Amino acid sequence: MRSHSAAMALLAALAAGVAAAGCTNNPYPQADRDKKVLYSSFHDAPKTLDPAVAYTTAEHVITGNVYDTLLEYHYLARPYRLIPGLAVSVPKGQDLPDGRQTYRFQLRPGVLFHPDPCFPPDATGRRTREVTAADLAFALARIADPAVNSPVIGSFAQIEGFADFSKRLEDLRRSDKAFAALPIREQYAKAGGIAGVLVHGGHELQIVLSQANAQILYWFAMPFTTPVAWEAVAAYDGKDGRDSFADHAVGTGPYRLALYEKQFRFSLARNELWYGTLSTNSDAPGAVFPTEIDPKDSIEGRIDPAYAGRRLPFVDRVTFYREREGIPQFNKLLEGYYDDGGIIKESFDAVIQNGRLSPAMRARGMRLDVTVEPSIFYVGFNMEDPVVGTPAGERGRKLRQAMSVAVDSRQYLELFLNGRGLPAQTLLPPEIFGYDSSYKNPFRQYDVERARQILADAGYKNGIDAATGNRLKLSFDTSATTAAASLQFEYLANSWRQIGIDVEINATTYNQFQDKVRHGAYQIFSWGWLADFPDPENFLFLLACENARSKNGGPNTASFCNAEFDSLYHQMKYLPNNARRADLIRRMLAILERERPWIELYHLEEFVLSHAWLVNSKPMGISYPAYKYKDVRPELRARLQGEWNAPLRWPLYLVLCAIVALTVPAVRTYYRERL
Amino acid sequence: MAAYFLRRIGYGVITLLGVLLLLFVLFFAVTDPDDIARKAVGERARPEVYAQWKTNHGYDKPLIINTGATGAGRFTDTLLAEHYRRMLTFDFGRSDADDSPISRRLREGALPSLGITVPLFVMGLVVSVAVALFVAFFRETYIDRVVLVLCMLTMSVAGLLYIIAGQYLVGQLLRWFPISGFDPNPAVVARFLALPVLVGVLSGFGADTRFYRTIFLEEIGRDYVRTARAKGCGDARVMVRHVLRNALIPILTNVVVQIPFLFTGALLLESFFGIPGLGALTVEAIQGNDFSTLRTMVYLGALLFIAGQILTDISYALADPRVRLG
Repeated sequence: MRSHSAAMALLAALAAGVAAAGCTNNPYPQADRDKKVLYSSFHDAPKTLDPAVAYTTAEHVITGNVYDTLLEYHYLARPYRLIPGLAVSVPKGQDLPDGRQTYRFQLRPGVLFHPDPCFPPDATGRRTREVTAADLAFALARIADPAVNSPVIGSFAQIEGFADFSKRLEDLRRSDKAFAALPIREQYAKAGGIAGVLVHGGHELQIVLSQANAQILYWFAMPFTTPVAWEAVAAYDGKDGRDSFADHAVGTGPYRLALYEKQFRFSLARNELWYGTLSTNSDAPGAVFPTEIDPKDSIEGRIDPAYAGRRLPFVDRVTFYREREGIPQFNKLLEGYYDDGGIIKESFDAVIQNGRLSPAMRARGMRLDVTVEPSIFYVGFNMEDPVVGTPAGERGRKLRQAMSVAVDSRQYLELFLNGRGLPAQTLLPPEIFGYDSSYKNPFRQYDVERARQILADAGYKNGIDAATGNRLKLSFDTSATTAAASLQFEYLANSWRQIGIDVEINATTYNQFQDKVRHGAYQIFSWGWLADFPDPENFLFLLACENARSKNGGPNTASFCNAEFDSLYHQMKYLPNNARRADLIRRMLAILERERPWIELYHLEEFVLSHAWLVNSKPMGISYPAYKYKDVRPELRARLQGEWNAPLRWPLYLVLCAIVALTVPAVRTYYRERL
Repeated sequence: MAAYFLRRIGYGVITLLGVLLLLFVLFFAVTDPDDIARKAVGERARPEVYAQWKTNHGYDKPLIINTGATGAGRFTDTLLAEHYRRMLTFDFGRSDADDSPISRRLREGALPSLGITVPLFVMGLVVSVAVALFVAFFRETYIDRVVLVLCMLTMSVAGLLYIIAGQYLVGQLLRWFPISGFDPNPAVVARFLALPVLVGVLSGFGADTRFYRTIFLEEIGRDYVRTARAKGCGDARVMVRHVLRNALIPILTNVVVQIPFLFTGALLLESFFGIPGLGALTVEAIQGNDFSTLRTMVYLGALLFIAGQILTDISYALADPRVRLG
């Protein structure tokens, strides 16, 4: 009996040892070890892959690679520059005599949709078909379709007949049930299409704008305007158990969606039929690696010059795994199981020391890329409020100026974002036309004494209202209720308390906050904006009166309305980047400097860590994540992963020994007492 | 016996209807369907889009009384009636967040959840009961004291710390298992579940072991144990055949109540270990204001809890005939 127990214990220990010997922390199949697979992670699951609707970063990671666009951003050039994608060239706007403007896009021939069961088989048995200009027109019609609920419907309103088509479609659907039951493509055709979208032959798309607008081209570098196969929209309607088009991407891009379990993982696989693989497109700008390489990019190891002129793409598959929590995601990045990623707040000081990578990270061959995102984070005032807004006249203006001078963006960034941001002087970030690095906003230079003086000039000496003798009390409304957000708002409130203003923070639910905004029942709020395209208009429109939240429900949450600003905005809006536009922007910024509807806090900086085996990875900022330019060196990755992750087995044997040490005397005691 | 079961089931049905009413108040009366729609389709969507979304998601009816309808329709064509109908027929509709069918999400999430909760439950139970029996047998010896210290240690540490420390120690330092992730492939799935199960077993070890030890000690002091020993029954036989069997009622109370929750997943473990189960789905529904999914998960949780209570009662009756007579 005693020997039997000992044998059992030995067997168990042996089994555990053998099991541990086969253990590794590598989460990927061994078969993929030497393959050109790029590994990345995502936090929020995509909601939709419908290119007319998808708007979040998580969604654009897929749509930006699965769907090709007529134009795209040069991968390496900064400031950002448009190059042809599916289009043969970047079209020049032609001004028409009546003030209208037109653009003609020439579509490359031979572009095919990803093979998909929604297409009937062709002569060779392939289930695909060539993309035509009609597919581009169909995509624009979908954006105009109110039922699609595209978030960018307003951005195309300048296309002639765009709004009319929307309305016609809506009216017909409401009045005619038979019409509403027709397939979508037939509905669009019967509704007469968009007057300003013309298809000439198979490969030319013309758009006519009601007035000149140079910025419209940026929208053709976004997946919203990608060609859409009507067959896919019809086949994947989400009814009777069929897939929804929102979950079933059928594009033309360099990658196709090979696996889509959106709550958990997805995978992009190389599209063997991509237009870039055709011999006729060997010189297409979007199909080869750029030859204009900034020497700084190659010196810093970001870009390998040997890739110049090579055909894209380089990696065979890009696989994404969902990481809901930052700590495990970051640890896996350090283990080498993700090829690149951001830095979590908890580990920032261990990774970045004195503004550069720590020696430990450098020893691993890691690279740090820092880019200022085309963003602005700000504190806004409700300009319709009688105390802080326009109705308060000069007094209100000085109050806003004093509050602006009292906020130290640099300290705010250090405290809450590990310094990952550039203190903002205006709402325009670097790389955007109109940005002036030498400009110092006099009301954004932190100076408590000066803030107190301006506040006294406003009639609130030490925060006491001279008219009533009461302390000035303001409310800061927010929908962020987390502890971290509360601390940030408390910091801002303290900045104002030090000059005597009592600011109360009112944190409510999102819906309650929206309700307050809708009814104008707020004084101060905090918000952020990430630009859609690299143009000053995409920032300045946030303060145009036509976009005021109180009047039109627009994104101008401050409801700032200034006739001079609006006049300059309309003059600047559609101009190309030239000296006149620069002058208009300067004058607009001067108005904002004086009026202070916002306290500009910072432009966010993105810190990206990349492993040595990831090649040609340059942060893209405003453009879309383009995996076709990136490459990996799997042999180096496998070697380093092996070195960094060799399992440590002796602790297991130690634990087993401890268990045996605890158990054996007990068993011996048991038998001794029984004898 | 049948009357006893029927009575218990009747109580369960009444409780469930009450839970559904409470859910209705929380999710429809307190939360305005217009706000839910606005959150889902965006602040700037047209009114027609709101209306369509509300229709698609069943939020377009009056709350309790439909003044526009006649006859029974005044009460049946309402959100309240629709809520009861949908929940009782398991027609959960679509997610408010991304429009995907909730039933599909439940189907997809059930297996990963069970993959972690069932081994965690079984291993946790086996380890706790075995160690508790062991230390009850060796009570007042060094083994009892060592295990007591271990139990107190594991009980003193917060659940989240187990996860973070487990990932760091086992995944990053010892490198035995992946820090997080999941692969449904049966050949490799165990590698991804090993660490969360280990962490889960360890975090529950102290409390469960102390609880079962107390039960066993209470049984060991009873007359029938002395009688068994007097009749020459061996220690192993006394512990397993007599003490364990007689301690089943309190063990069942603790165990059966947990069984229904195996289906609703492990919230923290799934979230931190990247397991696409129902626990993670619930966390995501809370974070994303996905009311329809959250409503479904709360309902299923309540349903399973009630089922668990009924099962416990039935198991009592089977384990101890005195219960059904009471």
